[in-house]
Amino acid sequence: MLQFVNTLLTGLGQGAVYAAFALALVLIWRATRVVNFAQGAMAAFTTYLALLVVESTGSWWVGLLVALACGLVLGAGVERVVVRRVGPHNELGAVIVTLGLFVALQALASILFGAQFRSFPAPAGLEGFSVGGVTVALTPSMLITIGAVAVVLLGLVALFRFTDVGLRMRASAFDGEVARLLGVPVGRMLTLGWALAALVGSLAGVLIASGSLVWPAYMDTVIVNGFVAAVLGGLDSPGGAVVGGLAMGVILALVTGYVGADLVPLAALAVLVAVLLVRPQGLFARTAARRV
Amino acid sequence: MRRSRRVRALVALALGAVLALAGCGAGGRPDSGSGGGGQSEGSTVGITADSIKVGSHFPLTGVAAPGYSEIPTGTKAYFDWVNAHGGVNGRKIDYVFRDDAYNPTQTSQVVNELVLQDQVFAILGGLGTPTHGAVVDFLNTEGVPDLFVSSGSLLWDQPQKHPMTFGWQPDYEVEAKILADHVAKTFPQARVGLFLQNDDVGTDAERGIRRYLDKQIVAVERYTPGNTDIGPQMSALQAANADLVIGFNVPSYTALTQLQGQKLNYKPQWVYSNIGADPVLVGSLLGRFSQGQVTDNALLNGIITDEYLPRADNPADPWTAQFDAIWKAHGDGGALSNFRIFGMSQGYAFVQAMLAAGPNPTRQGLVEAIEKGGTQFQGPWAAPYRFTADKHSGMSGVKVVQVTGQTTKALTPVRTTSNGDAPIQDETAGETPVPPNGIPTNPGA
Repeated sequence: MLQFVNTLLTGLGQGAVYAAFALALVLIWRATRVVNFAQGAMAAFTTYLALLVVESTGSWWVGLLVALACGLVLGAGVERVVVRRVGPHNELGAVIVTLGLFVALQALASILFGAQFRSFPAPAGLEGFSVGGVTVALTPSMLITIGAVAVVLLGLVALFRFTDVGLRMRASAFDGEVARLLGVPVGRMLTLGWALAALVGSLAGVLIASGSLVWPAYMDTVIVNGFVAAVLGGLDSPGGAVVGGLAMGVILALVTGYVGADLVPLAALAVLVAVLLVRPQGLFARTAARRV
Repeated sequence: MRRSRRVRALVALALGAVLALAGCGAGGRPDSGSGGGGQSEGSTVGITADSIKVGSHFPLTGVAAPGYSEIPTGTKAYFDWVNAHGGVNGRKIDYVFRDDAYNPTQTSQVVNELVLQDQVFAILGGLGTPTHGAVVDFLNTEGVPDLFVSSGSLLWDQPQKHPMTFGWQPDYEVEAKILADHVAKTFPQARVGLFLQNDDVGTDAERGIRRYLDKQIVAVERYTPGNTDIGPQMSALQAANADLVIGFNVPSYTALTQLQGQKLNYKPQWVYSNIGADPVLVGSLLGRFSQGQVTDNALLNGIITDEYLPRADNPADPWTAQFDAIWKAHGDGGALSNFRIFGMSQGYAFVQAMLAAGPNPTRQGLVEAIEKGGTQFQGPWAAPYRFTADKHSGMSGVKVVQVTGQTTKALTPVRTTSNGDAPIQDETAGETPVPPNGIPTNPGA
């Protein structure tokens, strides 16, 4: 029983990170209709910057702020300098460009920060809470992770649903030309979308690194599982991304704990195929037929 | 998926590197064979009257680089020292090592370069099972001596199939047998859990462990390198009430098991294999977590592991003192580490083998000299080699030790055994004295 609870809790903690990563993908998708394969490498890059700051200031929170700020700038920069040059209506081109960015950024991180394992400090304790004399696999650091993801989710929903900026961003993504005719500064909205997405991605990067080890490719597992989570929840739905992320975390933890660690990548693939076969628009997408 | 993407990235990089190197045109063919000195039996590629060219491959970048990338710096310093003292039979050693990033595709490329372009006489201490496994056929086809592979896999001991290849360090099965025998005797009531890397490290080790602890094992968990979330495995070990866990894993996973154990308040007696238990490296990984939650390597205190070479933190050992002097003279300014001692010991072993091959060594002559005299070669290592014409396995044993603070204390004398049901015995020879200047003499003379 304790094993089940602990496996579940570990899965939820891991799932919260997948959720944050899936949220970042959903953001870019909603804002620009591009799937950003460079998300993980961008997040790893800003996490390294955060690590430098944490090591020199000793404060995890300052590191997090720096990572978020750098994410914002990096996201906007990538959109303005790289993705925009591919041109509108060339979504496949943009996707391929993000793949190239992924390789380039990861290589650059190895050159700048070294390729070895480094430990990333945690924001709070790494010892599990004790409930009725039994230690469960839930730590203060994990609570911060889950709380951060919840805050980001609420913030995004509020942004897209209740603000003008959110509406403009959705309009720009849905049909740039019509939106432009209606007076929406489409270019700026796209940049903002990328910037926000990179910010959320940076958050995911720092959260998964905290209390664990980082190396230039440490986001690779998160990328794969975050993609599956986003597809599972529906690329259009922030709420779906979170549920998808948590579900992936729990499923993979159960597979690791009760079936075998070697089957984890296979399990992720099985979930992906099952979703695409049964409900290709994702569990929570409302507008199934919008994109033809 | 994770892997393939990284591989793809690395392949792209490697291609670029190869193109760049090819462009530079490393054409200079050494005048092979000119210095062989009459005896034309066997190949003398890579040897001249005053030089021997030796190559190797190591992960200088990538996930396996921490620690392991220091090994060739030790070997290099040792060879510089030997060269400064006149070389091997008057020949200076020219040591070339290349980065394979622990990626077998890259290993094939760099070893191809070493053999076909640099024309090395032999490969020394190539590191890693998957990586070296990718080139072992090539080296044997080309007839290149493939000495002292830096891996505890059983793969290197196939003299029929791979006559040029020799192991070096105690293989994982031997190591596992000696550790498991110690556990069975010292903790007969323990409920034993296993934490294994899911490749040949884990399978070789499990075979050795089960020989002594089969009835005591209550759980076996495995991890995939690269996936750092090992919470479920640790929960499973805890649920099985394993109060002693034997880990055959790399150093970063030693750190992760300790962190996860703290999270679950799960503190069994840990026994780690030598490859995962370098206290300095693991301590440096653990030492920097969260505001004093994990301090230094306090977590490692009390863990049991094994050793087969002198330790950098033990200057009282005459070998360590000698290596320290060599490192001070020819090192790169960094600290002497256990990994560098590993590299220097391999350098020592190579010089010794070259001396045994006589004043006019050939590739075949070198292999024959090791097969003939290998069991008698003595050096900084704790237990003798098992080299004969029928067996190419390296060292035969280790001593079991316990980590106390930054150092270790011995729990058993050096114990030796071999694969399968070979018995475990105490090694009686005692430590080999350091030869003058730390340079071996011809073991056959």
